[in-house]
Amino acid sequence: MTTLTNARDTAASDRTAGFPAPKYPRVFGVGRDRLVQYAVLVIVALFVVAPIAPILYQSVRSKPLYDATGVFSFDAYVKLFTEAGFGQVILNTAIFAVLTTFLTLLFAIPMAVLVVRTKLPFGRILAGSMQWPFFVSSLLLGFGWIALYGPAGFISVEVQRWIGFVPWNLYSIPGMALTEAVGLAPIAYVFCANALRQSDASLESAAQVCGSGPLRILFRIIVPLLRPPIVYASVLIFSMSIETLSVPLLYGTPVRIEVFSTFLYTHGLQSIHPDYGVLASASTIILCVTIATVALQAKVLKNSQRFVSVRGKATRPRKLDLGWLKWIATALIVIYVVFGAALPILGLVLRSFTLIFTPLQSPFKTLTLQNYQTVFTYQSYIQSIWNSVIIAVIGAILVSALAMIAVVVAKRSTFRFARAVEYLALAPQAIPGIIVGIGFFWAFAIMPGGNLIQGTLTAVIIAFGLRALPTAFGSISPALMQIATELDNAGRVVGADWVGVFVRILRKLLVPAFAGAMLLVFVTMLKEYSAALFLSSADSNVIGTTMLELWVQGNTGSVAALATIQIAITAVVVGLANLLMKEKKDA
Amino acid sequence: MPEIRVSHMAKTFGDVSVLHDIDFDVKDGEFFTLLGPSGCGKSTTLNCIAGLEDPTEGAIAIGDRALVDRSKRIYVPTEERNLGMVFQSYALWPHMTIKKNLAFPLNIRHADRADRDRRIHEALDKVGLAHLEDRYPHQLSGGQQQRVALARALVYSPTVLLLDEPLSNLDAKLREQARAWLKRLQSDLGITTLYVTHDQDEALTLSDRIAVMFDGVMTQIGSPKDIYEHPATAAVAAFVGSCNFMLGTVEQMLTDHVQVRLQATGTTVTVATDTDWLPGAPVTVAVRPERLAIVVDEPGSRDLNVLDTEVVTTAYVGSRYEYILRLGDVAVQVVSPDGSLTGAVRLVFGPDDAHVFPGESGPGTEALDLMKVTA
Repeated sequence: MTTLTNARDTAASDRTAGFPAPKYPRVFGVGRDRLVQYAVLVIVALFVVAPIAPILYQSVRSKPLYDATGVFSFDAYVKLFTEAGFGQVILNTAIFAVLTTFLTLLFAIPMAVLVVRTKLPFGRILAGSMQWPFFVSSLLLGFGWIALYGPAGFISVEVQRWIGFVPWNLYSIPGMALTEAVGLAPIAYVFCANALRQSDASLESAAQVCGSGPLRILFRIIVPLLRPPIVYASVLIFSMSIETLSVPLLYGTPVRIEVFSTFLYTHGLQSIHPDYGVLASASTIILCVTIATVALQAKVLKNSQRFVSVRGKATRPRKLDLGWLKWIATALIVIYVVFGAALPILGLVLRSFTLIFTPLQSPFKTLTLQNYQTVFTYQSYIQSIWNSVIIAVIGAILVSALAMIAVVVAKRSTFRFARAVEYLALAPQAIPGIIVGIGFFWAFAIMPGGNLIQGTLTAVIIAFGLRALPTAFGSISPALMQIATELDNAGRVVGADWVGVFVRILRKLLVPAFAGAMLLVFVTMLKEYSAALFLSSADSNVIGTTMLELWVQGNTGSVAALATIQIAITAVVVGLANLLMKEKKDA
Repeated sequence: MPEIRVSHMAKTFGDVSVLHDIDFDVKDGEFFTLLGPSGCGKSTTLNCIAGLEDPTEGAIAIGDRALVDRSKRIYVPTEERNLGMVFQSYALWPHMTIKKNLAFPLNIRHADRADRDRRIHEALDKVGLAHLEDRYPHQLSGGQQQRVALARALVYSPTVLLLDEPLSNLDAKLREQARAWLKRLQSDLGITTLYVTHDQDEALTLSDRIAVMFDGVMTQIGSPKDIYEHPATAAVAAFVGSCNFMLGTVEQMLTDHVQVRLQATGTTVTVATDTDWLPGAPVTVAVRPERLAIVVDEPGSRDLNVLDTEVVTTAYVGSRYEYILRLGDVAVQVVSPDGSLTGAVRLVFGPDDAHVFPGESGPGTEALDLMKVTA
């Protein structure tokens, strides 16, 4: 105890008067904190339930939803498997998904190991080139592949001229799986590459000290450590290939190979009298499958985190030298990047500037802007570009804002339903885009006042927003976890309520994460189209739906032009955003 | 300044009970410290008072205002408690300047502009940082950040001040200076202060009173002198300051003394006590190192207890030498200004210099094992 000489009584008297304790109004014991939290819960719940409920209900009604004379029945399910031939669809989807998963891993794992853990010539450029799917949707990739490897594609024709026949058939399940795998490989690559970067180098050094060569280290130590990310990536890829629409739609339609998503597309959009029951029951079954795979994903991720030991002071892993093998490895990766992505995209861009795209005639001979002219003469095509941009901009702001509040409610509140908010915000990743479209279409059809929204841009924004919500949530959530809870607590102690802490502290600290989420949502929504197939009207088409329309008409030149425009918009926005963020960081 | 009254507070997480029947008062203007090892529940107690955690049972009041009363279903949320708190990490908002950090609580309280600026200036002046008000937290040193955090906790004249290990992130030398400064400031302001620390030196130098906690239980409440010189249990004796523990059995009970036969050597020592001990009961005798006097030659006075030991190691710690001595098979720690002792050494201590605790108490068995001398 330190003894002080001055008297305490005199010291206390000259203090300035304090304030009364802050007081926040409550209605029936509920403050604005709880009101906001409940509001977020209700919004996300409505968001998720709105498209699913009408589908589930329709699947057990004998007549369309709006027809009140319908009764409860399972007839739709019976019809689905008897008349509609859904069994074959399930089989096709299963083969396609398994094959896609297998091919994706075949591309991604060796590539991750080679790029991250071995000395490769141009390793940095190769690693950077794995980001291309950020700019290009699988719909565009499909167009590009057809332009090159399709029956009349540039390379197919060239090969035919050399050897007299085309040794492959793109319009088949293996063809679809190969294209899809090229598009999905970067996702699996990221999982494996991150795990490899975090792995402890001392394990390898230990093996090296014992006298193991680089190849032995690779196969005995590095690859086995990859098991958790491989398991997780395969479940993820599997569930993504179950719901994908673009490639199966482009390749499968001419040869009548149907998978889940194309089945919904043809039965909902291409028949003159769509059978609502069949559509709903098929959607319900697909939903069950996708929800099961996403649940499996969550479970696997939980378990895999137990495996991965990320230590605070992990030594940076050293890169292995494979000797002459590295040249072969580089060549293989270059082949993947060039023939899988670069050439098809380049072909697509080139196609947009030519009238005919064939090796029989130099494409530079017929260089033209006519494809763009076609696009820009029709008001509805220009409209669709504007629509896409408007949807992506408004969606990016709204979805990121909702995601930010939802993250704070889920992670930083004593709200009883905090976990529920998190699950609901992440749930849409289990709902395929086309089902989101069908669900909202019916929801607006039966909702009072829904006809005001039906067919408008608002409807499309809502549907695309639902699809993008998990992306935004997932990108903001780790940023919030980095902010110490003591900063919230300090705000509460000095007198700010939960809303005050959010508005004045957390929101400000989350600005960089919010900007990142906005960019991500913008790009995601610009590429999205499957949910709009059912929802958009002539006035609310987006680039994707317009491209499909033009494609069906056989106007491939204009499709290529629109695709090029979409890539250009993405590139410009991403480039500007990077510049802005860099400047902020430097300042 | 109001007092803090915590009555019969308990907290459980699921079936894990972290606080048992915590009951204490902090008097008006008092500097009261919760002291204990990590995980003892001292921070949980503080957080319950701040409202950052919710006790499962009991009541908390400041002055005549009830903040929590489980039986009356009263619960005042943190933001309406009007407390000042300094966190271990300081928790300065990184996106605001020092001035804005301090303005935040004043804006919430709708202070007018002139009053606000005056208070901010006064608060920063008090901690000697008025010239830094336009800096951002990351532009300040750790010690400055800690003082800003304190200024922010005081700027709106809260009813009480809660401090959660505010000095633990400072380096050793700065921590000592900050300690003296903090004590002076608290005394000048006369604000009722509740302080949490695991550092016994901090607790002893700063506090008017200390509550020692172990495993969610308040073991002893008393002045620093009380706690150090009359520890209620062997655990308190071991945690606050260093202490030698010797196991033994009660030989005989005298009026206000007890005779104990030490297990290590078989010698009998006499210790003052105010409890009745039954002969044959296992006990632990505790003596602080500085209470053991070293006698090289012949025995001293007759009424002193004598221990025959042998020097094992000597450590020079600057102001003094620390010896580890062997007493039978246990180690005994002693301090001395003389660094030349070797071989056989005789220790003496008076009956009032030692304490008797029931059973084999004291530090944990692991610590006892480490203190065994085998060589």
